[in-house]
Amino acid sequence: MERQSRIMSEKDEYQFQHQGAVELLVFNFLLILTILTIWLFKNHRFRFLHETGGAMVYGLIMGLILRYATAPTDIESGTVYDCVKLTFSPSTLLVNITDQVYEYKYKREISQHNINPHQGNAILEKMTFDPEIFFNVLLPPIIFHAGYSLKKRHFFQNLGSILTYAFLGTAISCIVIGLIMYGFVKAMIHAGQLKNGDFHFTDCLFFGSLMSATDPVTVLAIFHELHVDLDLYTLLFGESVLNDAVAIVLTYSISIYSPKENPNAFDAAAFFQSVGNFLGIFAGSFAMGSAYAIITALLTKFTKLCEFPMLETGLFFLLSWSAFLSAEAAGLTGIVAVLFCGVTQAHYTYNNLSSDSKIRTKQLFEFMNFLAENVIFCYMGLALFTFQNHIFNAFFILGAFLAIFVARACNIYPLSFLLNLGRKQKIPWNFQHMMMFSGLRGAIAFALAIRNTESQPKQMMFTTTLLLVFFTVWVFGGGTTPMLTWLQIRVGVDLDENLKEDPSSQHQEANNLDKNTTKAESARLFRMWYGFDHKYLKPILTHSGPPLTTTLPEWCGPISRLLTSPQAYGEQLKDDDVECIVNQDELAIHYQEQASSPCSPPARLGLDQKASPQTPGKENIYEGDLGLGGYELKLEQTSGQSQLN
Amino acid sequence: MESGDAARPGSGRATGAPPPRLLLLPLLPLLLGRGLRVAAAASASSSGAAAEDSSAMEELATEKEAEESHRQDSVSLLTFILLLTLTILTIWLFKHRRVRFLHETGLAMIYGLIVGVILRYGTPATSGRDKSLSCTQEDRAFSTLLVNVSGKFFEYTLKGEISPGKINSVEQNDMLRKVTFDPEVFFNILLPPIIFHAGYSLKKRHFFRNLGSILAYAFLGTAVSCFIIGNLMYGVVKLMKIMGQLSDKFYYTDCLFFGAIISATDPVTVLAIFNELHADVDLYALLFGESVLNDAVAIVLSSSIVAYQPAGLNTHAFDAAAFFKSVGIFLGIFSGSFTMGAVTGVVTALVTKFTKLHCFPLLETALFFLMSWSTFLLAEACGFTGVVAVLFCGITQAHYTYNNLSVESRSRTKQLFEVLHFLAENFIFSYMGLALFTFQKHVFSPIFIIGAFVAIFLGRAAHIYPLSFFLNLGRRHKIGWNFQHMMMFSGLRGAMAFALAIRDTASYARQMMFTTTLLIVFFTVWIIGGGTTPMLSWLNIRVGVDPDQDPPPNNDSFQVLQGDGPDSARGNRTKQESAWIFRLWYSFDHNYLKPILTHSGPPLTTTLPAWCGLLARCLTSPQVYDNQEPLREEDSDFILTEGDLTLTYGDSTVTANGSSSSHTASTSLEGSRRTKSSSEEVLERDLGMGDQKVSSRGTRLVFPLEDNA
Repeated sequence: MERQSRIMSEKDEYQFQHQGAVELLVFNFLLILTILTIWLFKNHRFRFLHETGGAMVYGLIMGLILRYATAPTDIESGTVYDCVKLTFSPSTLLVNITDQVYEYKYKREISQHNINPHQGNAILEKMTFDPEIFFNVLLPPIIFHAGYSLKKRHFFQNLGSILTYAFLGTAISCIVIGLIMYGFVKAMIHAGQLKNGDFHFTDCLFFGSLMSATDPVTVLAIFHELHVDLDLYTLLFGESVLNDAVAIVLTYSISIYSPKENPNAFDAAAFFQSVGNFLGIFAGSFAMGSAYAIITALLTKFTKLCEFPMLETGLFFLLSWSAFLSAEAAGLTGIVAVLFCGVTQAHYTYNNLSSDSKIRTKQLFEFMNFLAENVIFCYMGLALFTFQNHIFNAFFILGAFLAIFVARACNIYPLSFLLNLGRKQKIPWNFQHMMMFSGLRGAIAFALAIRNTESQPKQMMFTTTLLLVFFTVWVFGGGTTPMLTWLQIRVGVDLDENLKEDPSSQHQEANNLDKNTTKAESARLFRMWYGFDHKYLKPILTHSGPPLTTTLPEWCGPISRLLTSPQAYGEQLKDDDVECIVNQDELAIHYQEQASSPCSPPARLGLDQKASPQTPGKENIYEGDLGLGGYELKLEQTSGQSQLN
Repeated sequence: MESGDAARPGSGRATGAPPPRLLLLPLLPLLLGRGLRVAAAASASSSGAAAEDSSAMEELATEKEAEESHRQDSVSLLTFILLLTLTILTIWLFKHRRVRFLHETGLAMIYGLIVGVILRYGTPATSGRDKSLSCTQEDRAFSTLLVNVSGKFFEYTLKGEISPGKINSVEQNDMLRKVTFDPEVFFNILLPPIIFHAGYSLKKRHFFRNLGSILAYAFLGTAVSCFIIGNLMYGVVKLMKIMGQLSDKFYYTDCLFFGAIISATDPVTVLAIFNELHADVDLYALLFGESVLNDAVAIVLSSSIVAYQPAGLNTHAFDAAAFFKSVGIFLGIFSGSFTMGAVTGVVTALVTKFTKLHCFPLLETALFFLMSWSTFLLAEACGFTGVVAVLFCGITQAHYTYNNLSVESRSRTKQLFEVLHFLAENFIFSYMGLALFTFQKHVFSPIFIIGAFVAIFLGRAAHIYPLSFFLNLGRRHKIGWNFQHMMMFSGLRGAMAFALAIRDTASYARQMMFTTTLLIVFFTVWIIGGGTTPMLSWLNIRVGVDPDQDPPPNNDSFQVLQGDGPDSARGNRTKQESAWIFRLWYSFDHNYLKPILTHSGPPLTTTLPAWCGLLARCLTSPQVYDNQEPLREEDSDFILTEGDLTLTYGDSTVTANGSSSSHTASTSLEGSRRTKSSSEEVLERDLGMGDQKVSSRGTRLVFPLEDNA
């Protein structure tokens, strides 16, 4: 008899495991479907629906099926046990059930009103992930990939504007959304839709901060495909990437803001503690990420690991992952660390990798990014139906829609105005409108919202976030192409095309001119950074740049000789390999198109050759008339070559 | 009675069984899963004092706990990652200096051992105690439990069943517990990429040529070895019982189980050296194919032995019905997994053939990955063995889908799985090193261990020599004595044996098995792995054979393989050579499957009978008509070349000029594609010439290019 029951429980376990397999299988199936659909769309050049939008549609359909087509089975956990002996909640519980001891693991606390609607559908319950999985598994590759593929040159050229948008803009947007939502909440309390005391101002701010994480993947994908003006692309991309980091840390700081007495009153000490927290976490994560990237750069520089691309790739992957884990272990934000790790890896380590590893790492992270992103969007679609505690509140949702538009406007227009005062190369109106329009919400907002759905306000926020993401991804994402033509934004700026064109002599002067204007243009701080980076960091961390022996003062001669790699003396050529990051994306696309002809390796080789001679010129930044982007690029390329000659 | 119950073979699984959501959240257990108990203990002592105003405090405390445990999990994962990083750097050093006596896996184990020692003896032994609660409400265990604690509701999820004896012994070192993974992680996360990669990189041509022998070694051999080891071990156990060294029960099925898990050979070390030195391809194919299929057989075999439950009262007597049921389970699971893997491979091939997905390599790669993963999940969901399904899926993908992929996707998929395989393998081996010290319930029994060592050698000998003798009766291309010795010698145990052993460590017998397996793995990987190079030269096995190289004209006596080329003489010889059934399969594959599933082969319209002309026309891709020449057809052989190329590539890039040498490598690929039809032959040469070969290898790669350009 006892044996029988044992077998039964074994069967149960078995069942569990298979259930897990089935759920994953559902996701796999959805992703496969999405891939095939995307292929169809791409093949026919439909641009109104991006792959993420497609993933959401499929997720929705699957959610609908799961919700209404499966028989609602009761979850066995409906009953509540009262244990008098327990005075607190231990994380592990050993329960003795008819002489069998079972181990139970603490999962979460449930508020009272969630208990009853809980017993819905076992399958729906199964299809719900632990939200931490987003932060620990799915988001890091996405964010790392974003950092790793930042188009470096344009990014640094616009660094000032991007930082302004990301930090100031996010703060503004957070506060504006918070205030507007607070107004709506007050109105709702008046209208009797909400109990007083449920919804604090900090909750509104929390919503504001999570809503400030823009994620215009859809728009960026279209930009990429249409080769929209690179400056606009960089502004949007850079903003959205840094934005995420800021929003995550901001959300965290707001959630730990806990005034001592009255939770609604303002408490200066708690406020400054939160601000300090924000700065501390941000700086710490930044340092952690950069430190790991620098270690990787040094390792790849001073070992000849490039003989074994697989080992190199493995090392690169492991160290980038360590950045995440160390940050988490140190109580910082892993995602932010990973972002800066990616940026630094792209800036330094990338130059030290063998060409094979460059491609490998790019492809590996591209692949992981693709999968993770689609899983998240798919899950969003699913969550609309499978999440059990949705609170649809029309008022709140309308308010949120209004708030994000107003906040986005408050973020873009005033900041652009201020920036235009300082920028030589102004951000024109159509760019501003486009940026305003590209305020899509995506994976980060969702992940932040789903992280905590315990209380009623948080559930309401989650529902609203979900709807906002749907709306913005489908409507704005679909409207990008019409919007581009309507705003008359130049498309078809092809970086590689420019590279191919041949220079003539006059570019030399143009280049010099450019250089001067650049110097005048960028702020002193950034110029200092450029100089420092070029003279010291690059030579120390990579094989490129001027030899340290020339840049460092005399007295540290031995160190500098030790740190400079022999290559640095020889060819200054290699200096600008970094550019390849920019090219490679495009290259991959070209490459595919060429791939029908069987001789692709030569093609790749040709690219390398093309990329390398152009390098010395790349340190220059030009600022020119915005309309002339393509022309500018051409100039740059040629200047490099002429210097060579 | 109770302790006897715990030792019963069937009951063990429940304890080691996974938490229910394990598959769903594959990485989560790694990141979050462990260590909650520790923090609980801390808070238990602290919050016991002031139980009064503690409701808010407790909430905070619980949150803190969760954060703390998350942090600790990050640390423990970080330990592994740093270990792997260290391993990579050291491997590089070794490879750079061409030190061959220690393979990366051996190195990973050493580092694991060192860290294990540090964790074991260097960290203070804090003890974590659980709050044991005896609530007797219900008569069965639920997957989730809602507990009402003074007005607050908490949700608990079922983690597993604990045998009563262990409750008191949970007092452990926290850090040690933290670095102990749920064994199912191996089966669900780490092994699939390894196995898939093995299947995907099987050297197809040589593999199919030796298919008969490989199957014989894998199936018959594993059965023989399992049986012999089981019997020997039973003798040892009896001896121990007489000597009074055995403190718990140890049944015959346990011995057989041990035989099954220890029969999974995993000569990564040897294969890596073979690959590097370009040892004879036939030997390589035999060893590799055997070890790959071996794993599959061993997994299924061990699970059917576990499933062997005689009906009657005496549960350990022989029961014919139960025995046949076990055999039935074995066949069912094996063929089911095989079908599952093959079917998804075929589906992927069809999808990639009929869509123009190859314009978007990223999508193609993602589809490939997802389909292969679905195989695993599907098999698990249907109750088959995922790992086995993945293996056959890999083989099918390599055989068909690979031909349909774009050039870019080919290298992407290869590289992706290569990296995954590399990471997973080294992770497992470093975990093995760690487990020797961090695993808490080792049972070291010298007699058992010595017995096991003797048994595995005898089992291996009884497996290789007689089978080789029988196979040589049928084979035209005999397996030489030195090959047999080498195969005997390469009976390393590795990841699979370890994973099978750690899966269930509930009973005393299983713990003893686990310890023994661990020691055997260490011994074989270090000693035998390190001795491979001397052994190769001692046995006079030819090294430096380049599989893509054209055979010298004087050695035409050993040409084999399906000669569908213009050379009819060779074709005839092949026909005689391979067994009838394989010939049938070759022609079926060539005439029907390849044209249906890939862009190659003869058009279906010519091979199918006339009445299904319409079907044939719609299944044949337009490319086939264009290039009927055997050129494209052999594309799948690239798999074979690519592995070697990367290796040589590594050696030849000492000049730091990566891009140019990759260029030559890939061009020579192009070249070898053209020479394909002639390189079907195998060369047999004087075995002693190995070392000279190695030195000329780098340049030889380029030959085909020059010949054909």
